[in-house]
Amino acid sequence: MAFIIELLPHIFNGLTIGLLFALIALGFTLIVGVMELINLAHGSLFAVGAYLALATMSFFGASGFTSPTLLQYGAALIIAPIGVAILGMGLELGMRRTYGKEPLYGLLFTYGAALVIEEGIRQLWSSNDQYFPTPRIISGGMMFGDLIYPKYRIFASIFAIFMIILLWLFIERTKVGAIIKAGAHDSEMVRVLGVNLTVLRLFVFSFGAALAGIAGIILGPIWGVRPHMGVDAVIPAFLIVTVGGVGSFWGSVIAGIAVGLTSGITAYFAEDWSLMSIYILLAVVLIFRQRGLFGKASSLDT
Amino acid sequence: MALILSKFRSDFIKMILVFIFFVTVPLWISRVGLYNYIALEILIWCIYGMGYNFALGYTGLPSFGHGAFFGVGAYAMAIYQIHWGGDSLWIGLLLSILAGVLAGGVTGMLISHRRGIYFSLLTIAFGQMFWFLAIKLRDVTKGEDGLLNLQRLPANFGLFSIDLSNTDSLYYFTFALFVIVVVMLWFFIHSSFGYVIRALKQNETRAQFLGYNVTLFKLISFTISTAISALAGGLFALAQQSAFPDVMSLHWSGIIVMMTIIGGGLVSFWGPILGVIFYFITRDIVGGMTEAWLMWFGGTFMLVILFQPEGIAGLWGSLSKRFLTGKPALPTVSTPQEAQHEPV
Repeated sequence: MAFIIELLPHIFNGLTIGLLFALIALGFTLIVGVMELINLAHGSLFAVGAYLALATMSFFGASGFTSPTLLQYGAALIIAPIGVAILGMGLELGMRRTYGKEPLYGLLFTYGAALVIEEGIRQLWSSNDQYFPTPRIISGGMMFGDLIYPKYRIFASIFAIFMIILLWLFIERTKVGAIIKAGAHDSEMVRVLGVNLTVLRLFVFSFGAALAGIAGIILGPIWGVRPHMGVDAVIPAFLIVTVGGVGSFWGSVIAGIAVGLTSGITAYFAEDWSLMSIYILLAVVLIFRQRGLFGKASSLDT
Repeated sequence: MALILSKFRSDFIKMILVFIFFVTVPLWISRVGLYNYIALEILIWCIYGMGYNFALGYTGLPSFGHGAFFGVGAYAMAIYQIHWGGDSLWIGLLLSILAGVLAGGVTGMLISHRRGIYFSLLTIAFGQMFWFLAIKLRDVTKGEDGLLNLQRLPANFGLFSIDLSNTDSLYYFTFALFVIVVVMLWFFIHSSFGYVIRALKQNETRAQFLGYNVTLFKLISFTISTAISALAGGLFALAQQSAFPDVMSLHWSGIIVMMTIIGGGLVSFWGPILGVIFYFITRDIVGGMTEAWLMWFGGTFMLVILFQPEGIAGLWGSLSKRFLTGKPALPTVSTPQEAQHEPV
């Protein structure tokens, strides 16, 4: 029993991180679906989200290590993703010349962009780790019987679940969502049906970027904010997409949770190896299922 | 032989010019404000780049995890010296190559049935795995501190032995290996094996329908590429007299991709060499002026991808064509990928 009690926080930690990973992966897979583009800058956009949130909070008067007010935090939660979306738009406009070429060119372009963004962050905000303060109401711990669990992680999980449901409703219940789904299935056909593909791509890319930015804001207080955090996020994200299957919504969510749980539970037994366990999970899934758990054939196969 | 010589005359002239260039580098490099060690580093990375481009440019395998194999080669050399007390240069280098064959072969077996972007993603995953192991297996690798104090072992030829502790002598030893690697790769590429891998780069499905076991060809090509990368890694360990996990990270795996493409590896045999020279020279010059030099390099790379994917070699090709014929150049040698690209 003591063993279970000790393991529980790790399971919860894994769940929280997994849900946030799923959020990053969903933005990633939306872009893959509609644009047939692996966005290696996705992690950098995630990092920019966290930095912009810090900048927004200090702009509205929050200072250093003190807890921001709800208003300051809320402002960050709205303004930073918009900033990331604008940056994403800039990237999409820049990479238009790569459309119609091999998907490799888009991948390479976004790799260059990732390098530029990461170095840009170092220049603007220094290489040091930064502390991301949270409002008082979601700081501190909560008691569950004998167990103390950080309130912030509970908030982060609920927020991620809320975002995932919202995203699902958006894709399944709105007209734009239907177009995105159709675009992921066959973007040429969608163009033939009179949808402006240029606008759709611009929208989907900046929307995916904004999701990455939001995940960055939520994960910032858990991981700490540093220029390198983008790589730490983008690799699990595409592992999740590969495990879950490209283009599958629930595949990404389930794989995200599976990846989070695997790393969380491994962390209990061997702290150092939690990241490695993710790769082993990936290898196992891919050996038994070529396109991941829920993947369908896509143009990226060829 | 005479036929080969006449058919590929310009190739051989270029090859000899490249060799002459590298042979003379130590004689003049300090006069142009650079230093001998950078020449050694450039040459080692040229071997690495040539090996890498065998996968990227010739087989169409966009690997983002080659740093892992470079690093594996470096660690093989370091482990041989530090843990096994080895003192033979030949065994050390052989172990580097074998480590590259083993690591690349196992990785290749697991991923070579994959294509395109999926392949890239999996190379990132495997590259990260090796990098992660290098950091975490502290008993073997000393983690992020790395294995230090390696010897630059002498090249023992039985009758006589050459001391390589001096940078220039290690440079010429590396040059000899560079010549072997370049000539070997050239013959691979122009053999029937080479024609098959170039065919499957253009259209894998079609090559498969012609009856080739494309997975096997990709595996062999990938393994050759990783073996050469690992050899370069072993030499790098000698040059730096240490082995670090750093070169195995995604960051450094990406740098070799960028070097190769900026140089023109997609269209030219010599692309990686141009790219490596470009990288190291600009790093020294621009890096001296601004701390944000990687930002400039990344930005340059983005522009190359957008406007000049054929890289420096392609630019040179189109300029020399324009100069020789007086006509505006055709849009260079279009890459086989673009020419053959079919919407799916």
